[in-house]
Amino acid sequence: MNTPLIRRSFLRSSSALIALPFLESLGFRRFASAAPVPARPKRMVFIGIGWGVTQETWYPDVKQTGAEWALPEGLKPLAKHQKDITVIQNCFHKHSMDPHSCSTFWLTGANKYGVPGKSFSNTISVDQVAAEQFGKDTRFTSLALSGSGESHGPGLSLAWNRQGKPVAGLDNPVATFHKLFSDENTPLAQRQAALKRQQSVLDTVLVDARDLARGLGKEDNDKLGEYLESIRDIEIQLSKEGQWLDVPKVKPSDHMAEPKQGMSGDKEIRLMYDLLVAALQTDATRVVTYRQPVDVLLKGLGLKFAGHNISHYTPGPRMEASQTRDRGQSELLAHLIEKLKATKEPDGSRLFDHVSVALGTNVRSQHYLDNCPTILTGGGAGIKLGQHIVMPDAKTPLCNVWLTLLNGVGVNVKSFGDSTGVIEQLRA
Amino acid sequence: MKSLCFLLLFASVAHAATEAVIPDSQRAFFKSYCVSCHNAEKHKGKVRLDDIPFRIADVPTAERWQKILAAINSGDMPPDDEKQPKPDEKAAFLEVLSKQMVVARKALSDSGGLITMRRLNRREYVNTIRDLLDVEVSPKDLPADDDGGSFDTIGSGLFFSSDQFQQYLKLARVALDEAIVSGLQPKVQKQRRDPETEALKHVRGQHDKLAADKARFEEWQKSGKAPTDFGFQDEAEAKIKMQLVRGQLPGYQSYLAEPLTQTGLVLQPFTGLLGQDQTRIPGNIAPGTYRVRIRAAAMEPAEPSFMEIGLMGNGESAGEMDLLRCLRITAPLDQPQIIELPVTLTKAGSHTVGIRERRPNTSDAAYYIGGTRSKEGNGNAYRRTMWVDWIEWEGPFFEQWPPRSHELVFGKETLPTNPGEADARRIIETFAKRAFRGRAVKPEFMERLMTHFNERIVAGEKFIEAIKTPLSIMLASPSFLYIAEHAAEKPGKARLSDIELANRLSYFLWSSPPDDALMQLARDGKLSDDAVLSREVDRMLADDKVMRFISGFTHQWLHMVRLDFFQFNHRLYPKFDGSVKESARREVYETLRTVLAGDLPLGALLKSDFVVVNDILADYYGIDGVAGTEFRKVPVPSTMPRGGLPGMAAILAMGSDGERSSPVERGAWVLSKLLNDAPPPAPANVPQLSRFSGKLMPARELMLAHQEQPQCAQCHRRIDPIGFGLENFDAVGRWRAEEYTEVAVLNKVVKQSKLFPIDATGTLPDGTAFNGFHELRDALAKREADFAKGLVEHLIEFGLGRPCGFSDDDLVQSILQNTKPQNYTPRALIHALVSSKEFRTK
Repeated sequence: MNTPLIRRSFLRSSSALIALPFLESLGFRRFASAAPVPARPKRMVFIGIGWGVTQETWYPDVKQTGAEWALPEGLKPLAKHQKDITVIQNCFHKHSMDPHSCSTFWLTGANKYGVPGKSFSNTISVDQVAAEQFGKDTRFTSLALSGSGESHGPGLSLAWNRQGKPVAGLDNPVATFHKLFSDENTPLAQRQAALKRQQSVLDTVLVDARDLARGLGKEDNDKLGEYLESIRDIEIQLSKEGQWLDVPKVKPSDHMAEPKQGMSGDKEIRLMYDLLVAALQTDATRVVTYRQPVDVLLKGLGLKFAGHNISHYTPGPRMEASQTRDRGQSELLAHLIEKLKATKEPDGSRLFDHVSVALGTNVRSQHYLDNCPTILTGGGAGIKLGQHIVMPDAKTPLCNVWLTLLNGVGVNVKSFGDSTGVIEQLRA
Repeated sequence: MKSLCFLLLFASVAHAATEAVIPDSQRAFFKSYCVSCHNAEKHKGKVRLDDIPFRIADVPTAERWQKILAAINSGDMPPDDEKQPKPDEKAAFLEVLSKQMVVARKALSDSGGLITMRRLNRREYVNTIRDLLDVEVSPKDLPADDDGGSFDTIGSGLFFSSDQFQQYLKLARVALDEAIVSGLQPKVQKQRRDPETEALKHVRGQHDKLAADKARFEEWQKSGKAPTDFGFQDEAEAKIKMQLVRGQLPGYQSYLAEPLTQTGLVLQPFTGLLGQDQTRIPGNIAPGTYRVRIRAAAMEPAEPSFMEIGLMGNGESAGEMDLLRCLRITAPLDQPQIIELPVTLTKAGSHTVGIRERRPNTSDAAYYIGGTRSKEGNGNAYRRTMWVDWIEWEGPFFEQWPPRSHELVFGKETLPTNPGEADARRIIETFAKRAFRGRAVKPEFMERLMTHFNERIVAGEKFIEAIKTPLSIMLASPSFLYIAEHAAEKPGKARLSDIELANRLSYFLWSSPPDDALMQLARDGKLSDDAVLSREVDRMLADDKVMRFISGFTHQWLHMVRLDFFQFNHRLYPKFDGSVKESARREVYETLRTVLAGDLPLGALLKSDFVVVNDILADYYGIDGVAGTEFRKVPVPSTMPRGGLPGMAAILAMGSDGERSSPVERGAWVLSKLLNDAPPPAPANVPQLSRFSGKLMPARELMLAHQEQPQCAQCHRRIDPIGFGLENFDAVGRWRAEEYTEVAVLNKVVKQSKLFPIDATGTLPDGTAFNGFHELRDALAKREADFAKGLVEHLIEFGLGRPCGFSDDDLVQSILQNTKPQNYTPRALIHALVSSKEFRTK
């Protein structure tokens, strides 16, 4: 390992940036008027809502496009923020065939059967593309949140890495809180020793891996490669942890108490939203995904149905429940927007203006995989807000939206997934 | 070995690869309705189709055809303003194209016999840890592995995520903490409690509170004064209080008036504390096996009462029971019975034993039923099902001390008083032999493990703590996690070593590592002997561990995950509770085991004159004379619709959405699982026919809508008529003569409902007509050979850990030919596969 030193010094230089929220309380404002303020970093948030929406009452009327459109029933709770959200219709993933995998390919657009000889494959997700660029400067390269016991298809979160392997998600708000904000009480030397021990465990299993590899054919060696990739990922993570070991974790500027264990229902989701806002505000990470649990939300709303059941609604209790869920979801989003607007950056601007938020999923309702529900908000990607856009082509790649957001936040990739170009209508 | 010769003969015949081709007959359609607008000159919508190959030989071509299929299916193409094909033309084209897409998928996913190394899947991991350490681990942090649409044994589909290594390390630590003990055997403790003490205290408390409210309310009414004078916030609150009084007080009064409540707990199903009882065993007792005894009697012997006993969840799963046993209480009040069962308590798991009348597991569902059932009878009296005198726990009991789990790590000899490095080395080496399943541990790895041990000793840990570090690293290293087989130049070229064969066989038939006997045969180089191998297969099939194979395989083969796709409507189907559902699931596995063990023809799974049930399922099916929770073979008359997969509650419930039966799901399941003729996957984005929603119609009539559009008709005309033959079963597999339908259920009030007579006539795709379920089952029973072919293909996938492709046709045919004389008994099928060249080579 020759690189840590370079990476370490690099991170040290950027730690000045990380400490900004502290500076604010030390009279940063006065200081700020004298010196140029570094541009606030862009952030990306993706929230996946699982089993889809009630199509009859969630989508705005396709005849009302542009800036003048009436909020449909399912989005009513967002009234206060209508000028700050954009709903885009007619986007989908052409490769998606399986409505039960609605969280698996939402951020990737991959073809499950894309690799001959395999019955499952996936590709990198849009958030991880952003994380490759944004994650270098932060303690956590990205943050993948999820809900416990619910997955909407294969995967551990919405995020998939460069190799198309699932990225693990944090499903417990308490654990998330501690990971983001709690400093360990153990002395630095001890923590360094613990890291060294973990590193040495990795070295040990690599000895076994090398030995095993000797007898294997090419295909099997590739398979073992997945294990090695995993070890490498942990190594990178450990070395990053090592570099940040003596940098205290930044506490959110709004005091945030340790959450109580066993939180559930919409309260749990609200808490995850608060945590992700705090993570962005403290610049612990700049890329967050949340595979939001549907069953948890339903339970919180007092509905006795499971999310998957509801997606197969017909007029009657299942459809009513589906509509209640939509409104509950919109209330949560309204809360998130409110919070992002209220949270101030060190230069006095709103966090909202530096974040790109996308909320949606890969299934409309029932088994419909076209016209994926998609809401965009936040000023980070420089998209036109307050719009209702109906793409003229009903088969517009959802990856075009992802590409537009990536380019908007300054990740200048030429294409993403099956994208065919950016969506000009979205650009302000 | 005759079968082997056959196989070699077959394998030597060169086999042309099967591939998907759009036949000449459909090219005219394609030309006139598609290419006319999408060609070199005119590429409408920027789509060109004149250059698309008719042979679907690669993924990009398959993707293009898939788009065409989707466009026609959804009705987008041809557009309305263009020339339209006739419905039957369109249906024929779609039928051919969708079938060819299925062929293409199979051809493109054909691994050509290549077996990719795989890691232990979640089931195998749990089994392996159990066999290795005699400890149960909960693998909820590991990926489930079985949701990718193919078997969880197929290596190419088993991924390894970046945090998985840490999960393995953590789980290994938990397992070792459970396995390894220190000190003397914990003393046996015993405690008995009378549950009525708490129950009465609770009931009296509630009763007195409500009675006081009632008195307050009545005084207020008489006085004509303000409600606040009597402690009510306002009139509304007073009324709500009174509503509670009316609803609940009579129940408590009636409970207290029952003399039996003074001597024991009277279980009133579905009503809070009176519906269940919890016994908390202190958290600081030693983990181990405890005996729980319950003295109880049935209060309504005429109606079967089932008691559920289990460990209660805590935290998120509070109120939910991890069911250990559901058994029928038969003893009369004057002669109560004593139930005894072993309960294993772990350090990490629940220590609360719950008992209750059988009911759906989630508290919501139970509450819902409570609301309807308790109003039976005279309106106030609750159903009282059983009386519980006392509950007692005693333990921990160990078959030996130190327990087997400890011995599995440290060996039979006791450690010296001051164990040292040499002891650690011996323990690690012995453990490696078992954990690595025959792979020798290399010196460099060994030295590193010793370093980890020594570091822990230096850090001040005791020997039995320090040893856990190297052991848990071993359980997270590739030699443990992967089932490795040495390299082959080409698929089928390298013969497996005896050790590799032992592992492949063991993970096939037990989903577990080889036991000592199997491993010894492999070490001695005897396993590859045909006679020895065959004898071992029989020994393994007779072992209880075969259930790990049967349940894991069958669950995936028959796509039983559907049983958990939907919640069942408890208002419509109160009898289909957790115990029935689990028993119904078990019935499928137990029946397969019975057929396997008794060497019955495979056709017995299609139709049989027996069922394999326990008392719960017998009660559900209306079969008398079955007592006890164990599954057993019970003869049934041919007039009964049970006997064979088509009449099993689990299979039928899978063919519903929890509300109504689905002829489509059932028909498609019969086609793909029994007749081995899977219909193409349902196309996404086809507009749903919603004009019928909210109308009272029988399912059969709703399905006729599928015949209207050619894109629907092409598949549904094969699928739906089979499902019609199963319409005499409701959404939870109960027999019915009429179909109950309802619409507009708002706030639990049914606005409209209607009964329709059932028409269960239909046809199989080959034209065989049937009138009703029995004739359908007879027709299916004649298709034993098709059923066997499907099973063989799935066994190949599961056993070899790779997709079964066209290149396996010879293998499939030879297995079928060899086993036909034995009526394709599962044993014969398994022997034929295990003795094949494919199974014994890499």
